Amino acid sequence: MSMEDALLTFVSESRELLEQMEDALLHFSADPEQINSIFRAAHTIKGSAGLFGLDDVVAFTHVAESVLDRVRSGELEVGNEMITLLLASGDHIGRLVSLVESGSQADDDLKADGQMLVDQLKAYLSGSVAAVKATVPVEQEVVLEKASTGDALTDNWHISIRFNEDVLRNGMDPAAFLLYLSGMGEIISVAALTDRVPALADMDPETCYLGFEINFASTASKADIDATFDFIREGSRISIIPPRSQIDAYISIINSLPEEDLKLGEILVRCGTLTESELKSALTEQLDTESVQPIGEMLVEHNQVHAPVVEAALARQKQVKDNKAAQASSIRVDSARLDHLISLVGELIIVGSSASLIASRIGESDLLEVTSNMSRMVEEVRDSAMSLRMVQIGATFNRFQRVVHDVSQELGKDIRLEIHGGETELDKTVVEKITDPLTHLVRNAMDHGIEPADVRLARGKPAQGCLRLNAWHDSGSIMLEVADDGGGLNTARIRAKAVERGLISADAELSDHDIHQLIFEAGFSTADAVSNLSGRGVGMDVVRSNITALRGSVELLSQPGEGTTVRVRLPLTLAIIDGFQVGVGQERYVIPLEMVEECIEFNRNQSRIDESGFIDLRGEVLPFVRLRQLFEQEGQGPARQNIVVLNFAGKRAGVVVDSLHGELQTVIRPLGKMFRSLPGISGFTILGTGNVALVMDVASLVDMMSRRDQQVAGGAVVVI
Amino acid sequence: MSKTIMIVDDSATLRQVVSIALKGAGYDVLEAGDGRQALALLDGRKISLIISDVNMPNMDGLTFVSEAKKLAAYRFTPIIMLTTEAGADKKAQGQAAGAKAWVVKPFQPQQMLAAVAKLVMP
Repeated sequence: MSMEDALLTFVSESRELLEQMEDALLHFSADPEQINSIFRAAHTIKGSAGLFGLDDVVAFTHVAESVLDRVRSGELEVGNEMITLLLASGDHIGRLVSLVESGSQADDDLKADGQMLVDQLKAYLSGSVAAVKATVPVEQEVVLEKASTGDALTDNWHISIRFNEDVLRNGMDPAAFLLYLSGMGEIISVAALTDRVPALADMDPETCYLGFEINFASTASKADIDATFDFIREGSRISIIPPRSQIDAYISIINSLPEEDLKLGEILVRCGTLTESELKSALTEQLDTESVQPIGEMLVEHNQVHAPVVEAALARQKQVKDNKAAQASSIRVDSARLDHLISLVGELIIVGSSASLIASRIGESDLLEVTSNMSRMVEEVRDSAMSLRMVQIGATFNRFQRVVHDVSQELGKDIRLEIHGGETELDKTVVEKITDPLTHLVRNAMDHGIEPADVRLARGKPAQGCLRLNAWHDSGSIMLEVADDGGGLNTARIRAKAVERGLISADAELSDHDIHQLIFEAGFSTADAVSNLSGRGVGMDVVRSNITALRGSVELLSQPGEGTTVRVRLPLTLAIIDGFQVGVGQERYVIPLEMVEECIEFNRNQSRIDESGFIDLRGEVLPFVRLRQLFEQEGQGPARQNIVVLNFAGKRAGVVVDSLHGELQTVIRPLGKMFRSLPGISGFTILGTGNVALVMDVASLVDMMSRRDQQVAGGAVVVI
Repeated sequence: MSKTIMIVDDSATLRQVVSIALKGAGYDVLEAGDGRQALALLDGRKISLIISDVNMPNMDGLTFVSEAKKLAAYRFTPIIMLTTEAGADKKAQGQAAGAKAWVVKPFQPQQMLAAVAKLVMP
């Protein structure tokens, strides 16, 4: 078989593989497992091309393969852009293979195409390198500064070799290894060590007495450099000291290692600072000499590993152990089982309130005492069951490190993320539902909030933008904050846009704060250019509706030139709340107790009040609504009615009801699909009597009334 | 003057591919199909490196290496043994016989060239 025949086999095999690769790429979203066959195709083409010295094909396929390898290992995510790029890369390989077949050279166009693809592919590769670097904790760097002063290290590799005396007898030429080494980098200097060379009379010409100290500049990995000495390792003493600049890279790799129970040596090998063979010989030495010296100290003493890297590895090991220990004192429970428990507790509450109701109807004092005790116990069971579902927001916040990194890359901005209050707890179901809106807010802040570096510098701010995620508890709610230190909102532009969209009239008098809230209105976007991130049809209105669906609210605070803060208020739990029961006619309604501020008497004969919808509550204007009107219930209310004053996120509003029935534990059930979009109602609950009561959506009620407030702002307020 | 490398393997394809690679790197190549052929071919020629497989008909690689090492002309000739991933004991035996270098099969021509470069100055 001649090389020409083999070449033809290569061409047809490659075409076949490229077809498979294309097919797999097109079905990737449906079946991510395809990555393995895509990778194999690229790998095989590269390998075969290498046999024929087709450097163009090898070089290009290699870059594509590296990207695929990272995808395979989960380091890179596959989006549509990447699929497109990989398809184009496959086509390019196909064209290169065709050139091989026809025996012609690549023209300039093809070269330019190839270079463009390589640049795009490499962007993915460099992206993940930056990701690793970005995770280096600051404290580690400080330790590093202190510890490294003792080592006399240059920014080159230092290789120290004492040859085995037999190398020459084994047919090895020390000079050949030096030459080989120079193929991987530049040998800056070599010092030959002749101290072992004996007097001429005693010298055995077949024995190698030499040693070398080599100063070596190279970008190769330690394992690659170490492999140079594979054949002479036995009986030789070789130590390869990485350049100073490598330390950071090693430490960052250590910190990004998965949380496994690794031995110190394994960690050092994984991060690349120690080679397998170095570890093996150190372990053997430890065993042979029955030394009690820790392996880390030994390696540092032998100049095989830098002390700061060992420290980082030990810290990492301890951290993993601590995490394991923390996990050991808790047990994992399937969340479905927890949900089941919560719903059982819900049933228990309903049955319990039935029992209390019957007991109070009968009026038997012993029975009343028992049922009231039971109610209290049920309440405690409820609280502890709910607390089982509480999780810290920190894990969710930490996920944004990646989002911030990726989006920074995408936007070409340098942005760091600060997290505060990660230990704040809230209901798991709330956490799950808040992730999407938070992601949107974070992306928005990075895209529109934080200015490009040059603008920041011109405004006298540090070039690096800062995004903060905060969380804290505030009276029965959890507050989440996404804050940036960008330019703040452009109030005039928002106002202009709102007028254009007909959201406000041109002469409406609104505070800056009120204008800022307009960006939560549907279809509102002030972005000048539709970028990859925004303008995809998901606006701030969706964020707000997601949050209100969780019985939460969102507010935006902006300081021109200083930044924008979006503050989200969410209830701690979704399923069971303390409610306040009110009645209109025969109907019962439940208002979440934490939002009820007070109840005041309301006299319906004050007709002037009826018209305006406002009352004066101790000198403040309070908008109110009649529940009877709002839900279009028949009949007239009694002469003496009540106003329940609601407070939500700092805004107050009143609801006029016929009767007050006091507190009760409320298990909120979601409404059926048909009724889900009704404003003012967020769910229903079953009362002890077996009747259904609607749960009021205070957020939307207050919002509705405060908007009515704006429309008549400046109008006459009727005072009682 | 080019240096000569001997490749001993019973697979003609392997000899051919290695031979193409070595010639491409500027070496002269001698090919032998088994240990016996190889010993006959040595014949006092100046050879810079021997690459030998382990399992071969007529005379296996280990025997060939120890026989070659007995010849004064080849006492210091470096030898690369072609081993497989699984054959760790073969590697040790090869080293004992005098083959201090090894290349694990399957390999690509450039891997072979890298190993050769560690042992032979061009």
